[in-house]
Amino acid sequence: MAPEELARAFAEWFGTGVSTEVTHGQLCADVTPYDWIEALTMAHDSLGCTFFDWLSGVDDLDLDPPGISVVAHLYSPEHRHHLLVRTRVPAADLRLPTATTVYKGANWHERETHEMFGVVFDGHPNLIPLLLPDGFEGTPLRKDFILASRVAKQWPGELAPGQSLTDLKPGRKRNLPPGVPAPGEWGPG
Amino acid sequence: MGVTDLPAPRVGLLPQVPKPMRFVLNWGRRYSLWVFNFGLACCAIEFIATSMSRHDFIRFGVIPFAPSPRQADLMVVSGTVADKMAPAVQRLYEQMPEPKYVISFGACSNCGGPYWDSYCVTKGVDQLIPVDVYVPGCPPRPEALLHGIMRLQDKIAAEEWGERGSPLPATEYPSLTRTPDGA
Repeated sequence: MAPEELARAFAEWFGTGVSTEVTHGQLCADVTPYDWIEALTMAHDSLGCTFFDWLSGVDDLDLDPPGISVVAHLYSPEHRHHLLVRTRVPAADLRLPTATTVYKGANWHERETHEMFGVVFDGHPNLIPLLLPDGFEGTPLRKDFILASRVAKQWPGELAPGQSLTDLKPGRKRNLPPGVPAPGEWGPG
Repeated sequence: MGVTDLPAPRVGLLPQVPKPMRFVLNWGRRYSLWVFNFGLACCAIEFIATSMSRHDFIRFGVIPFAPSPRQADLMVVSGTVADKMAPAVQRLYEQMPEPKYVISFGACSNCGGPYWDSYCVTKGVDQLIPVDVYVPGCPPRPEALLHGIMRLQDKIAAEEWGERGSPLPATEYPSLTRTPDGA
């Protein structure tokens, strides 16, 4: 099915509750968290997307409305179309029903999204950390996660070979990458 | 089964091994290093290249067929050590019999390398286990590993008997304490 046909199917099913866009020749359908499971079930049953590829999160806490977007990539082996289903879980209540009821393969993907972004998947059979070592605190793939090494040591990549940190012009304001706090903002002063 | 402390290795009745014998024994040890490759990332490919016919470290007596760490003398940590992997590295190191040696191969296992600011990468395997030789590079060429192995062999050749793997602390053998210049 062409992306436009898929978009029409989503619009018929969810009406104004869905917004769709075609990116890179694929359809990306944004649904509300309430429609999450229904959208996946519809894609599985009506659109033939029986192959679950992956599920992950995107830190959209700096957007409006703030939240963590959860994205699932689905594929139809029969009709050979790709489909991205996306929903933004509100920052105030990071909970989403588990997709394992529709796709069993979402189990580990949801565990990873849980430990990396802090989204809680309600009804997940085994929501324990998958990749992080025991006792790890924090959600490392969020933009507000502090990289402690970056606090202790300035990013050496902005130096030319043979230059030292004192050679950099002091007046220039540097753009801080995600995970790097401004000087003096974090840690022991 | 309980842990038994074995006596310090010695030759005959002498607590000290005479220098010519020490030379011969160390000479034997340095050219029969059974190596165990802790390959964690792309550096492991360079290790494999070193073991193959073009570079062929078996000609230096480095034998890459240790069936497990329990039969190995040398561990080569090649690749990125993640915090999740760290307990396994430590555990396998502890399973190796004394005397044991470690080569840290590549920027990642030396200091974290390009992942120095990562939330999950150990900043150098020397935070977990003692390292004898560091081989820099990202990844190092096989020649660099050969050079590292030769430096390790020099180190073994200069060792005093009982310096490694002795259950007694080195202070009990005043003549065995290490000097900075290795003499």
